[in-house]
Amino acid sequence: MSMWSKIFTMFRGAAHQAGEAVVDANSLRILDQEIRDASDALRKSRDDLTTMMAQRKLTFDKFQPKQNKIAEYVGYIEQLLTKGDEALAREVAQKLAELEGDSASDSQLIQQYDSNIDTLKKSIVQAEHTISRLKQQVDSVKATENVQRAQAALASRNSGSNAALRTATDSLERIKLKQAERSAKFDAAKEIENLGGDGDLKAKLAKAGLLEDRSSADAILARFKAKPALPAPQASAPKQLQADLHTPDV
Amino acid sequence: MAIQWTTASLHDALRASELEQEGKIELLDGLDPSISIQLKDFGDLPVQINVSGEQIMVSAAMWEASQVKDRAVFNELALKLNPVNALSNVGLITIAPGRDLYVMFGELSASSELAHVIEEIRVLADNTIEAAEAFADHLV
Repeated sequence: MSMWSKIFTMFRGAAHQAGEAVVDANSLRILDQEIRDASDALRKSRDDLTTMMAQRKLTFDKFQPKQNKIAEYVGYIEQLLTKGDEALAREVAQKLAELEGDSASDSQLIQQYDSNIDTLKKSIVQAEHTISRLKQQVDSVKATENVQRAQAALASRNSGSNAALRTATDSLERIKLKQAERSAKFDAAKEIENLGGDGDLKAKLAKAGLLEDRSSADAILARFKAKPALPAPQASAPKQLQADLHTPDV
Repeated sequence: MAIQWTTASLHDALRASELEQEGKIELLDGLDPSISIQLKDFGDLPVQINVSGEQIMVSAAMWEASQVKDRAVFNELALKLNPVNALSNVGLITIAPGRDLYVMFGELSASSELAHVIEEIRVLADNTIEAAEAFADHLV
């Protein structure tokens, strides 16, 4: 079965019973086992690779001196032939024939090892990829499950298991409400400002002594001296501010 | 250099980050704990975060399937949206028998830097709210 089919199987039946885990725990265990099996196989392949590389080295170690020996014998034969000692040359040639045969089979063996080592290395890399992908998928499935559990927990915490959980639509409502409030506040502030006329006029009025600057220390002190028992008015309340602009008391 | 987060260590790091001032961060404890973050800027939308192995999953509830007028139509739109909005995916999960929930989610490596995790949380919350606005006509 492919990875995707397995994951779909895991989700199958998720909606059947109350309290049932979202992901079928058994399927996840099977997948877990598969990863373990693949890891074991990978370990075995690595061992095989080590063995094979050692064998190749042993063969190569024997092969190299043989090559030297061959070169040596070839030299002897050439020298013996120039000397005319054909009998001895023949004797050496027999040895050489043996050696060449030996070395040819060694060389073939080395080539076989090389090709096997290459294949093994490739399959190890592939197995590593497969395992990490499987692990990633399992992580993903587990993370999804945990997040789902968290979401379900949040849903049931909002009093009663069937209570609606806070979703994006609620939050959007909330944001819109806040924005509306903010813009209403902004409008109100604008309106108040407009009611107050422009700043230039206010300044002129203030200069003419018609407008009290309630926020200055002098003005506050004066207010206290005039009515010591009265608490300071709330400057932030728009209505108060509006009233102040029109009917400067004190 | 590579930090490998766990749900608990990520929770602690988030609590110590600037996000702490922007909303509520809590650890939903349990056998497999999850983090829940509600950011004021995103209408207190709860965003769930879970670290499992090498993966960080960040997810937020879009709306329940029962809120969708025509699920076939919506599903198709959501599938079309996915490639366009590559940073977050739309998915469907079952939170209780007969109760399906559309979620938006994103995944990160468990060795991501904290700044990237925080960015993902913000992007996901933003995308989810954007989706709520964009799909408003398809919801009851």
